[in-house]
Amino acid sequence: MPANKSRNALLWHLLLLVFLILALFPILFAVSNSFKTLSESYNSMLSLIPGKPTFGNYVTIFTTLPMVNIILNTFIIATLVTVFKLVTSYFAAYAFTFFRFTGEKMFYFLFVATIFVPFTVVMIPNYLIVSKIGLLDNIYGVVLPQLCDATGIFLLTQTMRTIPKSLIEVSKLDNIGTLGILRDIVFPLTRPAVVSIGIMFFINSWNEYVWPTLILKNQANFTLPLVLQMFISSEGGTNFPIAMSISMVTMIIPLILYIFFQRYILNTFSQSGIK
Amino acid sequence: MNIRWTRMSLLSLLIAAVLILPLAGCGSNGNATGAANKKTVIEYWHVNAQTQGGQAVDQLVKDFNAQSKDVKVIAKYNPDMYKGLMQNLQAEKAAGKTPALVQVGWAYLDYFSNNFGYMDPNEAINKFDPSDKNFLKDKFLPNILDLAKTSKGQIGIPYSLSSPILYLNKDILKQAGLSENGPKTWQQVQQFAKVIKDKTQKYGLYVQEPADTWAQQSLMLSNGAQIIDKNGKATFASKEGIQAYQLYADMVLKDKTALHVPWDQGVTAFINGNVGMLYTTVAQMSNVEKGAKFNVSAIPSPPFEGHPAKVPAGGSFLAITAQTDAQQKAAWEFEKYLYSVPAMATWTEATGYVPPRKDVADAKDGLKDFVAKNPMIKSALDQMDKAVPWTSFPGNSGLQAEQAMIDTRDKILGGQEPVAKALKDAQTQINQLEK
Amino acid sequence: MERVSINRNKLIAYVFIIPSLVIFAVFLIWPVFYTFYLSFLNWNMISPTKQFVGLNNYVSLFQDPITYKILINTFIYLGILLILNCLLPYILSFVLEYVITKGKNFYKKVIFIPSIVSLVVGSMLYVWILNPVSGPVAIIFKHMGIYLPIWSNTSGLVLVVLSLITSWKVFGYNFIVLLAGVSNIPAGVIEAAKMDNVPLYRIFLQIVLPMSSATGIYVFIMTIVQGLQYVFTPINVITQGGPNYASSNLIYHSYQDAFVLYKTGESAALSTITLLLFVCLLWLEFKFVEKKVYYAGK
Repeated sequence: MPANKSRNALLWHLLLLVFLILALFPILFAVSNSFKTLSESYNSMLSLIPGKPTFGNYVTIFTTLPMVNIILNTFIIATLVTVFKLVTSYFAAYAFTFFRFTGEKMFYFLFVATIFVPFTVVMIPNYLIVSKIGLLDNIYGVVLPQLCDATGIFLLTQTMRTIPKSLIEVSKLDNIGTLGILRDIVFPLTRPAVVSIGIMFFINSWNEYVWPTLILKNQANFTLPLVLQMFISSEGGTNFPIAMSISMVTMIIPLILYIFFQRYILNTFSQSGIK
Repeated sequence: MNIRWTRMSLLSLLIAAVLILPLAGCGSNGNATGAANKKTVIEYWHVNAQTQGGQAVDQLVKDFNAQSKDVKVIAKYNPDMYKGLMQNLQAEKAAGKTPALVQVGWAYLDYFSNNFGYMDPNEAINKFDPSDKNFLKDKFLPNILDLAKTSKGQIGIPYSLSSPILYLNKDILKQAGLSENGPKTWQQVQQFAKVIKDKTQKYGLYVQEPADTWAQQSLMLSNGAQIIDKNGKATFASKEGIQAYQLYADMVLKDKTALHVPWDQGVTAFINGNVGMLYTTVAQMSNVEKGAKFNVSAIPSPPFEGHPAKVPAGGSFLAITAQTDAQQKAAWEFEKYLYSVPAMATWTEATGYVPPRKDVADAKDGLKDFVAKNPMIKSALDQMDKAVPWTSFPGNSGLQAEQAMIDTRDKILGGQEPVAKALKDAQTQINQLEK
Repeated sequence: MERVSINRNKLIAYVFIIPSLVIFAVFLIWPVFYTFYLSFLNWNMISPTKQFVGLNNYVSLFQDPITYKILINTFIYLGILLILNCLLPYILSFVLEYVITKGKNFYKKVIFIPSIVSLVVGSMLYVWILNPVSGPVAIIFKHMGIYLPIWSNTSGLVLVVLSLITSWKVFGYNFIVLLAGVSNIPAGVIEAAKMDNVPLYRIFLQIVLPMSSATGIYVFIMTIVQGLQYVFTPINVITQGGPNYASSNLIYHSYQDAFVLYKTGESAALSTITLLLFVCLLWLEFKFVEKKVYYAGK
């Protein structure tokens, strides 16, 4: 029986290892190509270790483009979008979970239904509004239509519903105000959800390119995904190693954040979990 | 607890920094516009990625701004080629604005002239540059100028001229015992491809398959077919058109000597030595040259037996979309700068695009040295007299017609429909689209 | 007294939803109504003439065989994505939590990494890695005497590969979320079942699934909602909906109509239909699934 069990475990580990390789191979492929010359990237598909590693691709992007500005822009946009989306979603979800009010169901359904609105529908109207306000070619123009998020409201409402109503009732009897309950009772219980949704918002905004492409013009206002687009061309060919080096720069910041906050994130997940 | 609070305060610090930083950025931005206040600021929209002349655009704009007393140009890069630029232009127009100068892809010639306000270059010259009245006539070949002409007149001036050429992997040809000078006709291309397949087990040919049918049109044209007739009716499903497409389809489906994959993958497969011949735009020249480790050369686009070769001109023209007098004047000043001999030479060296002006190729400050060093571009320069307009299907449904051509290519090369039927159906469908 | 407090609560509730409501109204809800209005027009978004055509756009959509092809593709995408991004990480998180316990944190960290990468980059990478003639996978298979199919031009297969690319990005995120949900089931319940020699698949189906169903539903919905939007990027980068619409879905097709062919009216009609379809799905979810969800603590 124990032998059987450990053989099973071994099989599962093997399977997981296959998974890891599938997940990591493309990343390793990207890392290795970012240190290759164009010619080598075409001709040594199989080798993950560059024959003559070069920093040339990184040098090129950092010397020909205002990369510091660009990284900062990307960071500002992603952070603002994440923070605003979390705050607005949190309050809305709180209202939908803990208050009964006229039109509640209607508003909730309306909000959640907007999840399914394809971006093609909102692209042009939003562009018109941003342009009227005079925020074209401005990173705040990218942020403006993204100040709240239906997915966030939906997910947070789902999470808050798992909090026993009795807990809230008791606090009400203790005369703790709404904001007090929100801060001291509900927030700690929903922190894992807030964190995981926040990560999702940040990564999505960080990598977004269709909408910023429309709004931003000057290179100094670009975001990292737009810089990546500058090296992709069907007609002139894509410079794969340079594109990969930009991808590395683009990846590294969320990765650092993830590693830095990882223990915090993992802890919050495992402390209470998303119920 | 402690750790949590430091994390928290760190986070709030970060957020505070994020909120303050851009304000500082705004300040410096304000200064920049302040300094340029005396100059007319215009936007130039282009599609040139860094691998397709993007750096040259930046350089040209910088040089122009340095020498112009009253104009400052801001270049905006539009990803996703002419389609991407047209999308952005569409949004800009809906917002009631326009850039001053734009690159328009040939497939959009008709759509652009029907839907956007533009200034005829002749009018711009008359108004802003009367001392150089014969600029267009003197400096451009008539067949080239005509590329940017519709029934409405001259829409713009040709700028990026690309041409399909046949790249050869000389090592593979040698290995297969074939002439390193390459095939003379498309019939020979088919034979070459068979020999390559037999002798080396590699693919013989890849013909570019982007989201347009430029290369496929070139094939049909080079067998004497017409894409549309004088009245704008599609006529490509003629005997000649079907025959040309049949040869190509046979290579893919029957001989299995031609590769049928998206553009990126096809070019990659050629560059790392898995395909003998590559039929694609001259704009890929530097990509191929830098990437390939084998002996590579290029020859002009071949004809079919008994017919002259014809190459549809790819690339784009420049159109003035500025609406006010001052903007239009500035746009013309910049446009004329782009067409100066040294600027044109810079452009060709960076992109491989054939210069639309007559006197650039041989001029000393032009391309003389460059052509000597880059024989591949010679094949594109040599075939410019064979350039014909890339069919821009007329009317409001022109873009749908192009899409129908793409769908037809998928059906034929996917083996879902025989060539004759697919082409005839497409022709009927295109002719039924509302005009 | 009671009434006053209820009124006060109502007021607070409205204050809480107003920021979202304003943003939604301006940037999402108004555009939807505008789109609905556009779906009755023949227009290209910029031409001065708007022609009212009544239901013509809808009629021509329903008469077009391509519409049905794309509708079927959409559901196939959903099916594949649900297996890859919901079921598979579910099983994996169960295995990691209760079958093997060693290395849980290590696996969790590594599997999450691809979630950071943008799908544009992912798509580019896979175009190279899965190049059927000269990519690394093709080279390895060639040594074994196997030639890869040209997946980007093969109906059916192209859907699977594009879904796999999407799943490479989404898998890790869904996995850590599900793992959190699964690990939250009281350990005693599982231990007891193991003692009774209940087979693993039954533990999964009869204990884990129902007891983590709130998380499960979350991931299920997210997979459906985001799946179609996510898969848009690889379609756009790799196939542009081809070959002959074999890889297109509702969202890509309405994008193509609107921003490639500038048939604003037809695109608006298609978007309206898409929206209706999803609102129906959402309503079904509200009606039947929500009630059965297991919430710990209730």
